[in-house]
Amino acid sequence: MSSIDEKDIHSFVDAVSVYFHQITGEKAEIKAAYLVEGGVSATTFDLTGYISFSGSFSGRVYFSASRAMVSHLLLMMKESNHAEEQLLDAVGEVANTIAGNARKHFGSAMEISVPVTAVTPDNWLDTVVSPRSYVIMVKWKRYKASVVVDIRHE
Amino acid sequence: MKLLIVDDSTIIRSRIARALNHPKLAFIQVIGMARNGVEAVSLVMRHMPELVTMDLTMPEMDGVECTEKIIQLKPDCNILVISALSDKATALKTLKKGARGFLYKPFSDEALVAAFLELIGP
Repeated sequence: MSSIDEKDIHSFVDAVSVYFHQITGEKAEIKAAYLVEGGVSATTFDLTGYISFSGSFSGRVYFSASRAMVSHLLLMMKESNHAEEQLLDAVGEVANTIAGNARKHFGSAMEISVPVTAVTPDNWLDTVVSPRSYVIMVKWKRYKASVVVDIRHE
Repeated sequence: MKLLIVDDSTIIRSRIARALNHPKLAFIQVIGMARNGVEAVSLVMRHMPELVTMDLTMPEMDGVECTEKIIQLKPDCNILVISALSDKATALKTLKKGARGFLYKPFSDEALVAAFLELIGP
């Protein structure tokens, strides 16, 4: 089992960047990825979607965002229904898209699950991710979101 | 032309349906939406659509297996895969099973309309 390197992380950064640009027509500000260790927190927002990896990889990628940000993303997609179920569907779809796009870098030996979504309490991510996870902070308009990459080569 | 939309995301199903408001796609009529491959195969048997949009990562039955089953039922069905799985091997695998087009997520509304037109002609 081995950790991923900088190039691997970049594939997720690129996927996040492409997602926001394609859906909103605007660039999201993406902060450099940092490791969750030494007491550094993986920021959890209201809603989180995640994808599990299998095959030659294990772990998960998480997308966590506030209700306000997800609601605004739905507006950009001309979606008028902003019920909680729709917001959860959206964070799952973002996680799915980021994981699927990153697979271009990792290859088809990386199998990805269907998305799982949850309303997440403060600090939830800190309780589920490993200390070797990378956190990518995303800022779009006045909103913030986090993408946490917790993945290992088997 | 009858269209079946297959995707486990409600939002993506709605986005695809809304794209059909484009004047050049007025001849396409949505006959059903499926959340997974099992529902999709059942709807194909009932309605025999000429056009299907197909997600790949879905519960119950994935899009690759579903594409193969639909082509067995209706060999001339035009299947447009719409997926985030952007590696070449996956695209080739679905094309071998009978899909005729591939659109990567995330997609713009313009790219979706263009993908439909490329698949079935203006």
